Amino acid sequence: MLRMTRRRLLGGTVAVAATIGTVPVRRAMAQELPGGPDTEWRHYAADQANSRYSPLDQINAGNFSDLQVAWSFKTDILGARKEYQFEPTPLLVKGRLFLTAGSRRDCVAIDAATGELLWMFRKDEGQRALNSPRQLSGHGCSYWTDGKLERILFVTIGYQLVSLDAATGVPDPAFGMDGVVDLKKDFDQELDPETADVGLHATPLVARDVVVVGAAHAAGDVPAVRRNVKGYVRGFDVRTGKRKWIFHTIPKKGEYGYDSWLNGDADEAGNGGVWAEMSADEELGLVYVPVELPTGDEMGMFRRGNALFGESLVALDLETGERRWHYQLVHHGLWDRDIPCAPMLCDIPVNGRTVKALAQPTKQCFLYVLDRTNGKPIWPIVERPVEAGDVPGEWYARTQPFPTKPPAYDVQGVGIDDLIDFTPELRAQAVELVKQYKIGPLYTPPVVSRPGRWGTISAPGIQGGTNWPGGCYDPESHTVFVYSKTQPSVIGIIPNEDQGVSEFPQVHGIAGAEVQSQVAMGAEAPNPFRRPPAARPGSGPPPGFLSVQGLPLLKPPYGRITAIDLRKGDLKWQVAHGETPDNVRNHPALKGLKIPRTGRAGNLGPLCTRTLVICGEAGFYTNEYGIRGAMLRAYDKATGEEKGAVYMPAPQSGSPMTYMLNNRQYIVVAIGGGNYSAELVAFRLPGIA
Amino acid sequence: MGRVTRGYWLAGAMLLLGGAVVTRAQAPDRHVWTGVYTREQAERGKTAYAENCAACHGETLAGIDVAPALVGPNFLNNWNNTSAGDLFARIQSTMPLNAPGSLGGRKVADIEAYMFEANGFPAGDLALPPNAALMPNVRIVAQKPEPAAAGPACTCGK
Repeated sequence: MLRMTRRRLLGGTVAVAATIGTVPVRRAMAQELPGGPDTEWRHYAADQANSRYSPLDQINAGNFSDLQVAWSFKTDILGARKEYQFEPTPLLVKGRLFLTAGSRRDCVAIDAATGELLWMFRKDEGQRALNSPRQLSGHGCSYWTDGKLERILFVTIGYQLVSLDAATGVPDPAFGMDGVVDLKKDFDQELDPETADVGLHATPLVARDVVVVGAAHAAGDVPAVRRNVKGYVRGFDVRTGKRKWIFHTIPKKGEYGYDSWLNGDADEAGNGGVWAEMSADEELGLVYVPVELPTGDEMGMFRRGNALFGESLVALDLETGERRWHYQLVHHGLWDRDIPCAPMLCDIPVNGRTVKALAQPTKQCFLYVLDRTNGKPIWPIVERPVEAGDVPGEWYARTQPFPTKPPAYDVQGVGIDDLIDFTPELRAQAVELVKQYKIGPLYTPPVVSRPGRWGTISAPGIQGGTNWPGGCYDPESHTVFVYSKTQPSVIGIIPNEDQGVSEFPQVHGIAGAEVQSQVAMGAEAPNPFRRPPAARPGSGPPPGFLSVQGLPLLKPPYGRITAIDLRKGDLKWQVAHGETPDNVRNHPALKGLKIPRTGRAGNLGPLCTRTLVICGEAGFYTNEYGIRGAMLRAYDKATGEEKGAVYMPAPQSGSPMTYMLNNRQYIVVAIGGGNYSAELVAFRLPGIA
Repeated sequence: MGRVTRGYWLAGAMLLLGGAVVTRAQAPDRHVWTGVYTREQAERGKTAYAENCAACHGETLAGIDVAPALVGPNFLNNWNNTSAGDLFARIQSTMPLNAPGSLGGRKVADIEAYMFEANGFPAGDLALPPNAALMPNVRIVAQKPEPAAAGPACTCGK
């Protein structure tokens, strides 16, 4: 009651003050909402450690549901068409937000208090951009300052590194050629600048005075060519754009790791890019680089051996690019387990002393925790035998590394117990369905697809449990929070005799369906007049379609957030994240059943504050008012209990960030998808602006 | 409930959602379970899909690393309670990624028809039109409405 009275009084004060002037108004508001000094967010995930953590607490469990839209910024006018896959997290420096946006990946500066556009930089790369394997806005940009100069750096769709003056958006003439470095040059390989299969969504990593840039390529399920672009990683001088170093993620003859390839396969293999975000420890002088597979996401016949540095985390010297240590998470991967996100750097107590560690979330839903000074596991990681498959010409690793701690944070592998069990009938149908596939534990190999055994059901699927947004880390409680989805994939392998489709004799597919080659987008298709896929046999779900009566094959949750305590290596809590999908809530076979919230599947990055874990939902649902949208939810970070939620007209598409500005805390998140075009939305608590 | 009555019901719902769409309310209400494309159209769409979409979305429409699935619960939930026109507009303006805007309306409609077929919606006598403006009244409904509620079934949460 007392509080109510005080609020009423304050309300009165505000009304009176508003007629007098703004200064008393601010004072009144400050009493309502304890503010604090302005904060910043200078890196993609808050800091070079990739914590995505902020100690702010003005927005908390008690008021989260009161959040209002402070401003929103549609990106429709950026680029030649609207964008629907808006993935950036903005930076916040001195009251300005910086991000990439729109279908042309323009770079923009926005007033962080009002959402007004301050400047926009646009680079029309024509066909070069249309050919890129990584389209649209990407993950954002990076910031550098020496205390006087301020620069914003980002990688264009056409794979050029641009350095802009943060105050004006004008390219820095001292950097590269008129502010631009062509990343397809000085790459230790000859590339066609127009058509080469390389681009990047990730932000360039800025540490000390070095810009580290990775590489991404077209997906490798049906690779058009064997000798694709090699995804080397490079360091550039942030002032001049001059290349300081290059690291060969696919080693050259005589270099460390070359011998882990058989028959000299490393000479010809491509890919092996670093498409994920990276992290850096300036004090140790190390950058942590998550590497993807060499060419062939599910086929390894041209990359025989353990093939370093495929699916390895590599620590490089920031100044020289020399390898300090590496850890291979999957040997000779056949499941597309590219390391998708940056490791979080964390100083954790182990046996009474503080260890400089890192925690790497993965598609396979193990969190790998290593000493970041030397790459040694904090808890033992053991090699266990795994099964070999039957694909002609394939090479199989005999063992795979399994962390003993922390436990996996999502479903790994598929057994009968993992199948949908809302009703006995649905379970029975699911059991029948999986008889048409190979199932088994994690690292069950892909198999040749044939009628009646269409392929291996892989869980997590090839998009992974966790993907590019990665997790967040709370330094106060030494806890990692990570979102993952439970969405299996079918990995079948089919023969291919058409060199015009792929130079691989075996590719990812389903028996009976024609294969389509994956070329660098826009490059001339090797065979433009392909035959259509064969008709689907039978009347049930087509092969490769993992659903029972339109419901997901595996039990919920379909999307979850897990808290992992790094003091003990244990799972602390886990919640289904996301309201139950429409078709589950409305399914006739589930009528009358009480189904707990199932969560929804997507790619999400959570944000951690002093008390909360905040994350928007993936995908749309239709709420009790019949309105489509998604919720931004807040959980007590200690217990996982939901503390509040606010409506958004579209799902979270880029990970949220937060800042304090003029005594108001903001949460900014990129949303969009389906029929709702990209929008950056800023939330804050009610109060007088 | 007759068609006219349903139209009024829809008009009421549209008014609640915003005035901009009221002019559409007179169109007969249709949804994807009532047969909104033809078998021949889906057959053509299969070819067009193979040529323009399959390289990224997969030959089984199951999606790959960087392109979402166009079949199954996730896709349907994501588009539930939108219209065939919304989906048409999204495809035509943004796809394929390397040549957005290059597909003619007839081809887009064919591809959409193929996606509808792959998602288990029945074929009918009338083809999907080659223009988004001609199908704002064709609702995408993820879950087949029960026979008693045939027509503009409310798929709101329970």
